[in-house]
Amino acid sequence: MALWHPLRRKDAKKELNPNQDVYARFDRVKLTLGNRQVLSDVSLSLSEKRIGVVGLNGSGKSSFVRLVNGLRRADSGTVKVFGSDIDDVAADLPRFVGFVFQNPDHQAIFPTVGEEIAFGLRQLGFDKAKARDDALRFLELHSCSALVDKPFAELSEGQKQLICILAVLVMEPKVLILDEPMASLDGLAGRKIMQKLKKLDQKLLMISHDLSFLADFDRILWLEDGSIRMDSVPGDVLPAFRADVERRSALELGGDDL
Amino acid sequence: MISVYLDRPTWAHRRSAGMKLGLLALCSVLLLPQDSLILFIGCLAGALTLYASLGRDGLSQVLLLKPMIVFFGIILVFHGLFTGWQEGFVVVLRLIVMVLLANFVSITTRMDDMMDAVMPLFVPLKWLGGSPRTIALAVALVLRFVPVLMTVYGGLSESYRARGGKQGSWRLIAPFALQSLRLSENVAEALSARGGARGVFEQNRSAGRNVRLTGLQVGK
Amino acid sequence: MTDRSIVQIAFYAALMAALGLLPKVAIPVLAGVPITAQSMGVMLAGVMLGSVRGSLAILLFLFLVALGAPLLAGGNGGLGVFAGASVGYLIGWPVGAFVTGLIMERTKTLPVMPAAALSAIIGGIGVVYLFGIVGLVIVAKLPVMAAIVGNGVYIPGDLIKVAIVAVVAQTIARGLPSALASRA
Repeated sequence: MALWHPLRRKDAKKELNPNQDVYARFDRVKLTLGNRQVLSDVSLSLSEKRIGVVGLNGSGKSSFVRLVNGLRRADSGTVKVFGSDIDDVAADLPRFVGFVFQNPDHQAIFPTVGEEIAFGLRQLGFDKAKARDDALRFLELHSCSALVDKPFAELSEGQKQLICILAVLVMEPKVLILDEPMASLDGLAGRKIMQKLKKLDQKLLMISHDLSFLADFDRILWLEDGSIRMDSVPGDVLPAFRADVERRSALELGGDDL
Repeated sequence: MISVYLDRPTWAHRRSAGMKLGLLALCSVLLLPQDSLILFIGCLAGALTLYASLGRDGLSQVLLLKPMIVFFGIILVFHGLFTGWQEGFVVVLRLIVMVLLANFVSITTRMDDMMDAVMPLFVPLKWLGGSPRTIALAVALVLRFVPVLMTVYGGLSESYRARGGKQGSWRLIAPFALQSLRLSENVAEALSARGGARGVFEQNRSAGRNVRLTGLQVGK
Repeated sequence: MTDRSIVQIAFYAALMAALGLLPKVAIPVLAGVPITAQSMGVMLAGVMLGSVRGSLAILLFLFLVALGAPLLAGGNGGLGVFAGASVGYLIGWPVGAFVTGLIMERTKTLPVMPAAALSAIIGGIGVVYLFGIVGLVIVAKLPVMAAIVGNGVYIPGDLIKVAIVAVVAQTIARGLPSALASRA
């Protein structure tokens, strides 16, 4: 059921349209952090259901995905999300573009699981009681209702990351960005989370160092030194990326290269 | 979260937090100017009766006073030396009674209820650009991150000892503060990614944009 | 107030709590007077976060204590501590952090270490003692001289804390300059 908030104003302007197929369009995007050129001249558009991002440390992956939900802003060029310039719709983005971080301990804000889930609903304007009820219902839907009053600190690593993902999903975004979500998980927990992710309606944009998670994605972006080195299906990109890593590691390692 | 709260329903738990806080304020206003030893002995008996009315575990909460006893002793001795023992006993008894009454409110009131009761005091923040919700968020953040920081410290202490350091050196304070602040940068980013301290709804409303709330899609 | 400031304030309040809960952030015990790390947290908050955010962090911490969280060193908490004789010190904490931060902000031309030491002595010792002594005189009805003398035992320990705070500030200024928000 759709609820229209009574405080809605008529002079609404600059609204993004979350139903269009292309969710992000980069046009000649450049980004520098400090003195470092992080992204140089990236142009592309994102629309596929599942897109993977690979690259070595410092290749600009993290900054790239942060440009899509406004956590970073481009120095030059434009980033359009759902057809609108990101500067115009930044305040609205958390609703449509969810973001899951590498370390669940950096993401969860509230002491207990129930409060953590309810926070997303409070952010959308629901009152405390309604947010609490809906959070419980949402946890039931995802068979986690037993965790509702548990302190976040006492969960297993896998449970922590699952709750972080649910805390973002409860806001019902159209796109879910994940920055190495499996990095702190063991192989089993990582695979369980991946199975959950694949069942979602949301489009995924996911960074991963474990390439096996990306094998059946629709598209892979390979970033190197701030630009797109390769952009194609996993069958093409993943073997090429793997070969490149092998080739580099075969060269003699000095402290400077590490 | 750890709290001095006594987790068991009693008659005192059922009274509203606002009423208990109001009575406590009234008691302090009335008792502060008094200086009769008899009166305070009576008050002490009264306070102890309050604790006893909660049952055995209630009475044992009187021990919350324990960390203050030495301090009270020092004050008594100072009074004995400078102004007289009679005055000393009155002062210390008054302190003990006030601390007991205040703690009585704390052990019979849940933190949530206490917070709800004092929230109206924060309404003026709205004119300063803050909001009572920000306070609630900040409180939640502290409760959430105390255990995380303890883990951070544990990790630092372990790697320090692994390289031959002593347990619990002050040298760990700098890296501890550093790591905590780094961690806080990540948390701030995660908070912004979910709509920030003001929330998606508020931010959009103040920008004159409408916000469509969709109910949860139950049965998906 | 930005999300970043709110989180920084909350983290410093949590840091205060952690300093009180840690088994003993071993600082030497002087003449039998235990030196709690928490009053050092007051100096650190001012030095690191500056006047406004530093004092808000301490206020937030005290608010949690008042709500019933036993976060003061030794597991003390609840409204009772604000009815006790040391209430003056507790009130002095946020003011002390504010003054510490203010001096830190006004001495940007000085190197970090002496600036931090100066700020911590005036704000973290001077201001906090002033409030503490006034509290003792009002609440415990002690004669002013007695309160001042009784306070004296803490001075050596607090000077050690000032030294530690100065070193820590210097270390952080080198390791993560942006974290020294009082000078950003």
